[in-house]
Amino acid sequence: MSVALDAALGVAAVGGMLAVGSLALAFADEAAAAAVAGAPLRPRRLLVAPFRRAASALLTATTTTERPDGGGRALAPALLAGLAALAMSMLPLAPGVVPADPSTGFVVFSAAVAFVMIAVFLHGWSPNSTLPLHGAYRFGAVALSFQIPFLLAMLATALPAQSLSLVRIVEAQAPLWNVIREPLGLPIYLIVGLAVGLWGPLNLPDADDLAGGTSAEDSGLARWLWEAARTSMLVAVAALGSAAFLGGYLGPLLPGPVWVALKTALLLAVMAVARHALARARIERFVEVAWVLLVPLALLNVFVSGAFLL
Amino acid sequence: MTSLIARLAAGSDARVFAIAGAGSRAAVQDLRLADGVELVDSPRAADVLLVAGALDPRHHDAVRRVHDALPHPRASVRWAGSRDVLVPGAAHVALGTDPSSAIRAAHQALMHGTMPTEPPLLPDEDPAPWRGVGPYGQGGSGMTGGTPYGRPMAELAPDRDGLRLDLLPTRLGPFSSLLPHGLELDLRVSGDILVGVEVAATGLAASATSASLFIRALTEPVSIAELEIGRARDHLRWTADALRLQGLRALSLRALRLGLHAAPGDHRAVERLAADIARTGIYRWSLPAADGARTELLAGARLGPSTRASGVGEDERQADPAYRSLGFAPLLGAGGGAAAAWRLRLAEAVRSLELAGRGGDTRSAVTGAVESPRGRLALGDAPSGRALGLLPTLIEGMEWGDAMATIAALDIDLDELGAVTAGTSAEAAA
Repeated sequence: MSVALDAALGVAAVGGMLAVGSLALAFADEAAAAAVAGAPLRPRRLLVAPFRRAASALLTATTTTERPDGGGRALAPALLAGLAALAMSMLPLAPGVVPADPSTGFVVFSAAVAFVMIAVFLHGWSPNSTLPLHGAYRFGAVALSFQIPFLLAMLATALPAQSLSLVRIVEAQAPLWNVIREPLGLPIYLIVGLAVGLWGPLNLPDADDLAGGTSAEDSGLARWLWEAARTSMLVAVAALGSAAFLGGYLGPLLPGPVWVALKTALLLAVMAVARHALARARIERFVEVAWVLLVPLALLNVFVSGAFLL
Repeated sequence: MTSLIARLAAGSDARVFAIAGAGSRAAVQDLRLADGVELVDSPRAADVLLVAGALDPRHHDAVRRVHDALPHPRASVRWAGSRDVLVPGAAHVALGTDPSSAIRAAHQALMHGTMPTEPPLLPDEDPAPWRGVGPYGQGGSGMTGGTPYGRPMAELAPDRDGLRLDLLPTRLGPFSSLLPHGLELDLRVSGDILVGVEVAATGLAASATSASLFIRALTEPVSIAELEIGRARDHLRWTADALRLQGLRALSLRALRLGLHAAPGDHRAVERLAADIARTGIYRWSLPAADGARTELLAGARLGPSTRASGVGEDERQADPAYRSLGFAPLLGAGGGAAAAWRLRLAEAVRSLELAGRGGDTRSAVTGAVESPRGRLALGDAPSGRALGLLPTLIEGMEWGDAMATIAALDIDLDELGAVTAGTSAEAAA
């Protein structure tokens, strides 16, 4: 009984954190957009907008295409949201408080990020339509390029902890946060995070120059679910980033979970600003930068991080 | 509960897919600033279809196909000079009046369930019997290669990078968010590279007319202040669309708002916008690099900013004594390419506003050929016509995103083209 209750509590906590994070991202995004556009911010309208959008999605039919892969279309958003929840479930909230603490949390999180490629490719491939398929191909190139820098950036955080457990990675930052110990790590991680969440400057698969790319054929609830899954992924990336680089729940005065929320909100705000202040990269340019610049920098980051241990 | 959901949904922005027929492009663009209305890039994301401006019968089937792609519940608004039966049951709003309240009303009625959804206009059946094999079809006899029965199918392509890739033929347009409406391209895509490009059709209505200042300037002297303000606004409107294509929607709205009312006193605001655009890294990260052969093509085509971006001082205004008396000299870029054309358009917008401020009552002195925002414009010869001629050569061999950015940089205006070459665009399509 208590195992079932624990599981239910864990699922509710993870879902709740993703939902609250997604709302926070929506607000930050609107605020950044209003600031860049020079338009007035209307807070009341802003607060209800996500709920209004969800309601209108509920009342709008989901369309189909000619000869789609129906199973794949249904699975893609569920897979992406599931990966976000999997990552989020390993977020340490306070000393001893974490929904799940596998000894290999680092590996599980990295696997979740790797599987995003499958979710996005499936989403683009299954409608059997040109523009979504093109978006799917694009993500193939993007994802193959960001995997190695991502793994290396994360690996450098596991070195001082001498453990693959995310709880240990947070604890090991008590003397010094990783963002200071290895200053290259967080920027590389955030760049990859933008690509994993199909967001702003690295939203290549769902880009405007593909009329929406992998989601060009989506309508109604299916479109909303995909958007929700994307933002959930971004929230999970921000939350785990705050744990891996900003010391997670560590901080004076305030309780641990508040620090986690504040640090996650900070990273989400950075991403919201990046969306409106930075242009979308050409795919060729991104692939080139990832292999030629990010991989060596991430390696250097690992060496520096290792040197601290000598 | 149901009524709470309906109330919430009715309060959401009406999502509109707009078809911009002849003479309605700027009006449709202005809707981006309307309250409670959001223009979307795909009919699948829309609640309401807005069909604006004049459309030839040859486009009617395409309009019907777009209509049927909207999810239920859906409604249509016809925004045109006169009533027609293009979309039966559509609410009619006269072109020149604001359609946003009609759009919002239709959206609210749909969400409250007080307005029935529109039935499809075309039969929902396969264009020809499906002859594929297995659950996903491809591979049956007669089902590989080309576009059997209107379905694009992959075919074998020559080697690229030592890989054998499928070649996908695909049709883009006539109402794609990526192209000026009315333009249809037949593309062959190999991986992410366009290996074949043909202009399948252009033009919206054979009897296109345009109220553009620059077309008026072909036959009568026009105030230079007016012309230059028009040029600056055109450049800012172009910038708004181009920014949107690059994913910078908030900056795009700022450019559009500026383009709507830009006046001589606004040149500082345009300079600030240009600086903010440069700060996004768009010139280094987003736009395709200049390429010698392509720059050469544009340099000789009198395509206004696209030509001057490569350093060629080609500008009809130099031949006009009225412009010379105001001390006009064309702005030049260096090296060509999309990024140089972007920068030059913004710099020209600033320069035009300054020129308009000095212009006073001076009127243009030369008619017959003028410098439109897109290049040399004369009767029977529009810059967009020349741009369309170059388009296949320009984008062939490019990656998809580079090709879309290159098409955008050409600033093709089918209304202007239709107005100076009345009749010929319909022939080209036929």
